[in-house]
Amino acid sequence: MTYVAFRMLIGDRAKYIGLLFAVAFSTFLLQNQTSIFSNLMKRAGNQIRDVTDADVWVMAPKTSYFDQTKALHETDLQKVRGVPGVDFAVRIFKGLPIANTPNGQFAACSVLGLDDATLLGAPRNMIQGDWQDLWQPNSVIIDKAGYMLLFPGEKLKLGRELELNDQLVKIVGISDALPAFTTFPLIHARFTEALNFQGRQRQQLSFVLARPSKGVSPEELALRISQTTGLKALTTAQFQWASVSYYLKNTGIPVNFGITVVVSIIVGLVVSGQTFYLFILENLKQFGALKAIGVTNGTMLGMVLFQSFLVWFIGVGFGTALSATFFNISPFVIALRHFILFWESAVGVAAFMLLVIALASSAGLIRVIRLQPAEVFR
Amino acid sequence: MKIKGLVLPAAAGICLVYAAVSIAQSNPKRILTDPPQSPPRSIFQHTIAAVGLLEPSSESIAIGSHRSGVVTKVNVIAGDKVTKNQVLFTLDYRDLSAQRKTSLARIAQANAENRSTKVLLDQAVRRLKSANSLTDQRALATEERDDRASECARLEAQLASSEAAIALAQAELETVETEITRSNVTSPLDGTVLQVRVREGEFIEGGSRNDPRLIVGKIDPLHLRADIDEFEISRLKSGAKAIASPRGDSERKYELEFVRYEPFVIPKKSLTGDSIERVDTRVLQGIYRVVSPDDRLHVGQQMDVFIDSNPRNTDS
Repeated sequence: MTYVAFRMLIGDRAKYIGLLFAVAFSTFLLQNQTSIFSNLMKRAGNQIRDVTDADVWVMAPKTSYFDQTKALHETDLQKVRGVPGVDFAVRIFKGLPIANTPNGQFAACSVLGLDDATLLGAPRNMIQGDWQDLWQPNSVIIDKAGYMLLFPGEKLKLGRELELNDQLVKIVGISDALPAFTTFPLIHARFTEALNFQGRQRQQLSFVLARPSKGVSPEELALRISQTTGLKALTTAQFQWASVSYYLKNTGIPVNFGITVVVSIIVGLVVSGQTFYLFILENLKQFGALKAIGVTNGTMLGMVLFQSFLVWFIGVGFGTALSATFFNISPFVIALRHFILFWESAVGVAAFMLLVIALASSAGLIRVIRLQPAEVFR
Repeated sequence: MKIKGLVLPAAAGICLVYAAVSIAQSNPKRILTDPPQSPPRSIFQHTIAAVGLLEPSSESIAIGSHRSGVVTKVNVIAGDKVTKNQVLFTLDYRDLSAQRKTSLARIAQANAENRSTKVLLDQAVRRLKSANSLTDQRALATEERDDRASECARLEAQLASSEAAIALAQAELETVETEITRSNVTSPLDGTVLQVRVREGEFIEGGSRNDPRLIVGKIDPLHLRADIDEFEISRLKSGAKAIASPRGDSERKYELEFVRYEPFVIPKKSLTGDSIERVDTRVLQGIYRVVSPDDRLHVGQQMDVFIDSNPRNTDS
């Protein structure tokens, strides 16, 4: 009977291909849209995620997201160090100065000032140069996209100079830092030098980064730090989510992508559902004939389920491969760097498509089960 | 036909495997890394962290000069060991030498005047005596005798005045000589020259403290001045142990021994390598002795300090 079901499915090639196309493209569209959306939103927390040397961030109490900070007191670093369960705590500065190039290009940059003594937070993924060169005086590391923005159309080259707030600095490395939501060039420098990149303020300590000692979880430590110092402390994951949800709440992006996702869901549902439903309707005669020769409803059910599973399998297979190919190619476009196909999106969409096809086939199934064999002869 | 129909499902299977491999490869894993240089860590269970500066146990002594003048000779270079009263540098005192000569001449002059007055007095006394020793008082007019007595008294007064003039001239000489001694600026204690910012030929203004030209201090033992946040004061244990490690080399830990607290809680000065002074909060300064310093510790160096402390009330 399975074989009959299979033959029934591939019998009408045009319909068969159409069905597969509908499922494959719905899969591709949904995976693509959800992944791009998630990738884009994830960028809001990328700079947090990229600091792999610590996993607790301490910040001013009302900080809502990474890009907007209020400076801490310098003694706050010592307070955090005094919290039991802290293995170490190190300061970091975040600023938004303007960088100028010798040929007149300029751009606001997101600067991370790394503690001079430890270089905690140094970018480990380098395209050119060495992050150890940050020990040199007046040196910075810039990300590749930032370099291309500041030196458009030029080859990546170390040793070029930038001017920030009358400070001349040398690019000693080009990093592959995770892109930020704001598209600003990402610059890593040393704390004491980064302070000079923008006008001096009274307080200049943006975050304290801490790591728990053995046996203490980052969540527990974050809680302890909040309780004892009165500052806000979040783990890397929590802070990432806080930043992402800030942008989710305060930009139109989720609405925009949400509409696309909903439309692709509806289109996927309607097109594949309808095609499959029509397929069953058009094969009602065959089902009727089968019923007439005594095939039970249970077997029929199995047949339809097998058919829908096969359509799902082939359609999702091709669709996912298409998405994977898209995300294998997209990193070559600089604006889409580090965009990936999330496995959650791939699996979720596959599961969703199974649901869609199950819905569509169940509508057809009802017709098959209610079918009177006599109808074949009408 | 049967095989033909299986091409698509098989291809879909291959596609799924390809997609799965792609996803597995591209989904990033966040691996926790260690900081390039190990950050300072406490060895105590409950700790108060602070930033400290290394200083001489005598504190840094900014050597001042009484006099203004041009420096003629600098006897020390930074790092020299000096003993108490050793001359550090000398100011030009040629003007004082000239004054000294004048004073000496004045003493000589006063002495000469004194001697001549003495001779005159001797003569007057003799004349008065001879007048008084006349057997017949009428041999000399009474007026003449009185004049001789007055002359004696006048010369006695002149003698006293000339002696005072000698004393004055000598006092003047001493003043000049003291000034000459003060042109040699000396060390107030046995210690080490920490900084020399004075060179031969430079002008020094006396009395100014804002711009110390020469710093001397006793660096054995070496002390550390730690700024303890006022919020942490209640957790301090008296005489608690502490450790310190230099910036950028947290693996080296130096044991500290408590010496004293500065009794006055002061506004914190920024110690973070910034020359602009910024007041944050108030801090209690604790003075600690570095138990076994080595030659890699230098006065003025910043250290990360961890002090053994009482737990907070909220600590479990």
